[in-house]
Amino acid sequence: MEKFYLAATSNTPEVDFDFPARRLLLKGESYPESAAAFYGDILNKTSAFLDETREQTIHISVQLNYFNSSSTKMLFSLFDRLNLAAEEGNTVVLDWHHDIDDETILEFGLELAEDFPAIEFHAHAIES
Amino acid sequence: MNTPAEHESNKPCFPGLDPNLIFFYAGYFSQNIINAIGDAVRLRLEQTETSGSARRKIFSTFIEMAQNIVHYSSDSLTPPDQATLEMRAGSVMVSHTDNTFHIICANPVDPSFAEQLKPLLEPLRLMSMEQIKDAYRKTLRAETDENSKGAGLGFLTIAKDSSAPIEYGFEPAANGMQMFTLKATI
Repeated sequence: MEKFYLAATSNTPEVDFDFPARRLLLKGESYPESAAAFYGDILNKTSAFLDETREQTIHISVQLNYFNSSSTKMLFSLFDRLNLAAEEGNTVVLDWHHDIDDETILEFGLELAEDFPAIEFHAHAIES
Repeated sequence: MNTPAEHESNKPCFPGLDPNLIFFYAGYFSQNIINAIGDAVRLRLEQTETSGSARRKIFSTFIEMAQNIVHYSSDSLTPPDQATLEMRAGSVMVSHTDNTFHIICANPVDPSFAEQLKPLLEPLRLMSMEQIKDAYRKTLRAETDENSKGAGLGFLTIAKDSSAPIEYGFEPAANGMQMFTLKATI
């Protein structure tokens, strides 16, 4: 499966989903006009990748400075799918970066850790 | 870093702008306009002595309100069924007095839509912060409302960041519409 790459814009993150290397990165801002449209493609490609991935280690790094409520919902769906892949025998490692001042992003990360226990969760506080 | 004296001289001198007004915009909103004025809001907030945590909450509230205008204002320049590159009218204001920020938005809505909004908004005024967080968690896990272009999480996100209960109102407006206003405090 090929890499999937989108450059960052002022309101959408850099998406660097290197499926062959099983390394996924989301970095930047996330408040697209339609989060369902922006993340729909990402979810579909990730789901297709996970359908054919067995007993592998997948790293996902999230380095988002801000995401709006509709992006939050889509991120939750993305981690729901990754959790399923982990339950099916893959190892999924999530590096969750948040600004040290940003309790909202940290709290959302902790929600993910609680709901998706099959994912290995690491929080990283970043000094701004 | 600015010295205090330099900071003082950075206060706005443009007519109509005062130090308590962080941002005001009234007119048509599109996603591109939000991107641009979002930058202006962030820069203005950086000039105030506001904690990073509060600045982030203000920015988040501003974006949720501005995107609600783009998606839900009844005053639309683009066809009502057009789902992307929408442009709709409203206003957003951020003010700063006595270490408190108020973020207020206004846009017209159809009276039937106003009736749909009231039962979403009224409970948020009565809930404790713990109840708001609990409702947020439940909504995050619920299936996306088919009528919602966003996640339905927007009002809960605003209420969660507001240090005082949100305030809202509906007033008769032109063309039989209702003017919806929403206020958050940070």
